[in-house]
Amino acid sequence: MRNFILFIRRFFNLILFLLLEVICIVLIARTQTVQGDDIMSSANLLIGNMYKQRNDVAYYFALRRMNDSLLRENIELRKRLTAQAETDVIYDSAATVPVSYTDSGKVVKYADYTYRTARVINNSVGNVNNYITLNRGEKDGVKKDMAVISANGAIGRVVNTSAHFATAISVLSKKQQVSAKLKDGTVGYVSWDGKDPSQLMMRDVPTQIKVRKGDTVFTTEYSFFPANIRIGTVYKTTLIKSKNLQVLYLRPTANFRNLQYVYIVENKMSAERRRLEEAAKKDDDK
Amino acid sequence: MTTLIKNIIRFCVILLVQVLILNKVTLQWWAQPGGFPIFIPYLYPLFILLLPFETPVALLLFAGFLCGLSVDSFMNTAGMHAFATVLIAYFRINVLNALLPKNLSEYSGQTPSVKNMGWLPFIVYVSFLVVLHHAAFFTVELWSISNIGYLLLKIFASSATSVLLIIAYVLLFTRQSGGKSQRIM
Repeated sequence: MRNFILFIRRFFNLILFLLLEVICIVLIARTQTVQGDDIMSSANLLIGNMYKQRNDVAYYFALRRMNDSLLRENIELRKRLTAQAETDVIYDSAATVPVSYTDSGKVVKYADYTYRTARVINNSVGNVNNYITLNRGEKDGVKKDMAVISANGAIGRVVNTSAHFATAISVLSKKQQVSAKLKDGTVGYVSWDGKDPSQLMMRDVPTQIKVRKGDTVFTTEYSFFPANIRIGTVYKTTLIKSKNLQVLYLRPTANFRNLQYVYIVENKMSAERRRLEEAAKKDDDK
Repeated sequence: MTTLIKNIIRFCVILLVQVLILNKVTLQWWAQPGGFPIFIPYLYPLFILLLPFETPVALLLFAGFLCGLSVDSFMNTAGMHAFATVLIAYFRINVLNALLPKNLSEYSGQTPSVKNMGWLPFIVYVSFLVVLHHAAFFTVELWSISNIGYLLLKIFASSATSVLLIIAYVLLFTRQSGGKSQRIM
């Protein structure tokens, strides 16, 4: 026993060092998965408030750019509005009337979205997994797994919330892929290689699908994003002859470097849908 | 001011500069496609580098762990910065022993600085530990060594920038004249 205590005393520093490193490795290993995002997050009150203070200062310098982007978005929305008015379609977008099962003639919307605005109070593009801190939290109804979009395109997914803040993992992250489709409906995944924030990749597109430069890639209804949100535009394609596949390189339509305002999208049907999908998965496992 | 309070204040200042200013500075040496990778300069290892000579290793390790975890919680990277910082906290004493002519116990009440180490040993001390820190951090962050050229480029570019920043900090916040080597902050 005495020898054991002597041994501990002699190698105390080394043991402490190894212990701390093992704690770190356990933390890192647990956050390497998409599920492990809630272990440590900047959505807590202290850090959120600090980021908010910093952003309040930086906010004034971005006002002009923000005005421009809001104007552009207004134009875009006005265009869509006139297009709708000219085609004269009666279309009830907020159909929340309960539909009984005998009422098979009515079309029930697949998803019903609620949009919340949020300000980006912290943002990064230089890491392998990039996170965005937003100034909306549980008190504003933000929950985990809601989609974050900007006027220009898809941004990310909420991974953690506190009372007043939320963190979202951005599309620029190695550990998450986003379900995407081309104009003609070809479905694939958009991923990021962790290097250049102005380049996304869509792998495993069959070669017989003709893709031209400038084609837009959209989100699909399979993912947490609402469908048909722009992700990026194709600027380069490379063929992998041996596999008969091509890789598309995309420029993201959203500018991740100067995000200011984003929308948090709540899919009101998502809870029901997830329950159903999980039940189907369980049946599969049996 | 006692050394303890001085170091606590320095810890807060360096942490705030790191997370509120430097984390916003995303650098790229050459922006051409296929050029250098982008990175963020890291100044916070300086806190470990500037702790007094006679700090016990156990305390250094805990300080490194705390410092790394604080940066981690700001950047949503649980454990990565803590891993790298604990590593340099452990090796600090070996590097100092190798670089200094006298025994470490003879430098009681002093902190590592250009004045009591000389320019060359100080820069070697800083750059060795910074490169070690960055190598550990970026390797863990990429979580693969399949892309080793890219990893080495990133480590090289970002440690060179960090060392420049640290030397700028030391030049700015160290009293250059006066007999006693004393630090303002």
